[in-house]
Amino acid sequence: MAVWSCRCLRLGDALLHRAAGILPRTGAGTSAEGGAVTGCVRTVKTSTWWDEHLTEDNVEFMKRDVTEEYRELTAAKLNPLKDEPWPRHAWEEQSRRVGLVAVKLGMMPVWTKSGDRHVVTMLQVQDCHVIKHIPKDEYDGNSAALVVGAKNVSPFYRSVEYLEMFQNVGVPPKQKLTTFCVTENAVIKPGTPLYAAHFRPGQYVDVTAKTIGKGFQGVMKRWGFKGQPATHGQTKTHRRPGSLGPGGDPAKVFKGKKMPGRMGNVYDTAFGMKVWRVNTKNNILYVNGSVPGHRNCLVKVRDSILPRHLAKNKNPPFPTYFTDGDEELPEDLYAEDVFQFGEPIPE
Amino acid sequence: MAARTQRAGTLIRLLGNVRFQNERMFSVFSVRLRAAGPSDEPPKFTPPAKPVIVDKSKPEEAVRRFISPEFIPPRQRTNPLKFYLERKDMLQRRNVLNIPEFYVGSVLSVTTSDPHAANNTNRFVGICTQRSGKGLGATFILRNIIDGQGVEICYELYNPRVKRIEVLKLEKRLDDNLMYLRDALPEYSTFDFDMKPVHLSPTQDVPVNELKVRMKPRPWSKRWERPKFNIQGIRFDLCLTPEQMEHAQKWAEPWRKYDMLKEYDTSSLEEKIYQEVQAELRK
Repeated sequence: MAVWSCRCLRLGDALLHRAAGILPRTGAGTSAEGGAVTGCVRTVKTSTWWDEHLTEDNVEFMKRDVTEEYRELTAAKLNPLKDEPWPRHAWEEQSRRVGLVAVKLGMMPVWTKSGDRHVVTMLQVQDCHVIKHIPKDEYDGNSAALVVGAKNVSPFYRSVEYLEMFQNVGVPPKQKLTTFCVTENAVIKPGTPLYAAHFRPGQYVDVTAKTIGKGFQGVMKRWGFKGQPATHGQTKTHRRPGSLGPGGDPAKVFKGKKMPGRMGNVYDTAFGMKVWRVNTKNNILYVNGSVPGHRNCLVKVRDSILPRHLAKNKNPPFPTYFTDGDEELPEDLYAEDVFQFGEPIPE
Repeated sequence: MAARTQRAGTLIRLLGNVRFQNERMFSVFSVRLRAAGPSDEPPKFTPPAKPVIVDKSKPEEAVRRFISPEFIPPRQRTNPLKFYLERKDMLQRRNVLNIPEFYVGSVLSVTTSDPHAANNTNRFVGICTQRSGKGLGATFILRNIIDGQGVEICYELYNPRVKRIEVLKLEKRLDDNLMYLRDALPEYSTFDFDMKPVHLSPTQDVPVNELKVRMKPRPWSKRWERPKFNIQGIRFDLCLTPEQMEHAQKWAEPWRKYDMLKEYDTSSLEEKIYQEVQAELRK
């Protein structure tokens, strides 16, 4: 009976009906179990596995063919939509550009020409495309928005609605989608690839990502409370929060009291980080300092919104860096005070 | 004339298996001699090439293979592209600065630029007690005793302030980490700043100095007798009783060596990176 129920669960509706038809004939003792089988069948019966009616060879072929197609789509580096390119506008004060979605690779040191050491995080821009343009009145009435996606994924385990969005612009499906608020003059046609050269060395960026989850933590780790001494007669009170507040007068614990709980796994932004170097061949950004999130996680990079850095972000490639433009870039772009390893030793 | 060409021919044959460059040079030379023969001008005197004596009785020794340990990436789930990019930067730096082969236990002298020093440079000599870090962040620690005071300096290999690294004595010790020299008698970490470099042929194996050091009285900065340090280079018999040595075995973790998850075989990776590094440095 257990085997039967497993098979019923796996197969489609038709088989289920047949099984239900057979069940009463097997005997009076099994009828109760037959009822249990129909009870535990999934309620959503419309969705099927994509490879349900395919032979193994065909599954192999599909996977290979689709990967090949997506690789070509990405390698073409062209705006795949056949209609005309959208007009490009000049940069003005108060313009806000689109950002990038990048993969965090890890950290390494850089040195300035005077020999000071800084640490940088390497962010790789991998298959980053503009997916959708949301006009101002449809978004929130204040600014237009661009949806940007990065890192190609297999289409076989995504819903049809999700894949439709990518079919419309003719790019492979992406693992991560994010929305950037942009000004009206900075909109880019969906399907346009974005590159690391969108940011230039010397400018400042904000990086948003989900922090590493730490699980349920006490107040010392989560909020930096001091705890209590290890010795001097303490009993069972070393890492506890202590008092939660005054007693009789408020007669309550105030809302927002810092207490133990889940730590990490929330979105966090590191503001105002300098771009030290950009590798245009492998699309790597070298961003000053540490960035939230674990290794290989997808982060959102945009121009810094800090007022003190606005002057350094003037006249960037606007609305983004296009490869078909006449601007020919060297493989590595450096901020002016960075020591380049190939250059002779400074005094 | 003919005798000379003949001699040149024998020389070519002799040198043929030594270096291609020489062969090319010699063939051009003999061709020029032959061309000069029929014309009446007296041939210009060209001094014969210095004969290269190859001792065939000894088997030809290969130059010892060495790859700096910071080239081997740590075992983790980072994209290999990250290590490739770091390697590229490291090699670019190595094309400008000669970073020689050295080990923990070798005596080095490092010259750095120092804006606070009198002539903007600072030279330090000491024994390398530790090498750590991977990639561009690789470091090594030099230790010496100056005016009775122990001094340790941690240098970054790829820091642009490092101007010159010179190996004064290339050797290994019994351990991969000599941090116990802090607790050893000062004579073991005292080195003269005017020390003459000791030459070691590039084909010779690096000698292992089997010196065992005597320690200062306990307590030490770490309990070096514990099995986790696995120190060979200390005379424990002078400072610890057999009972104490027996007691230290309480912290032995003999099951660790059977932990297959901790195995990290880098031999194939090392070979691949060695080829890549050699190809890049030869350019």
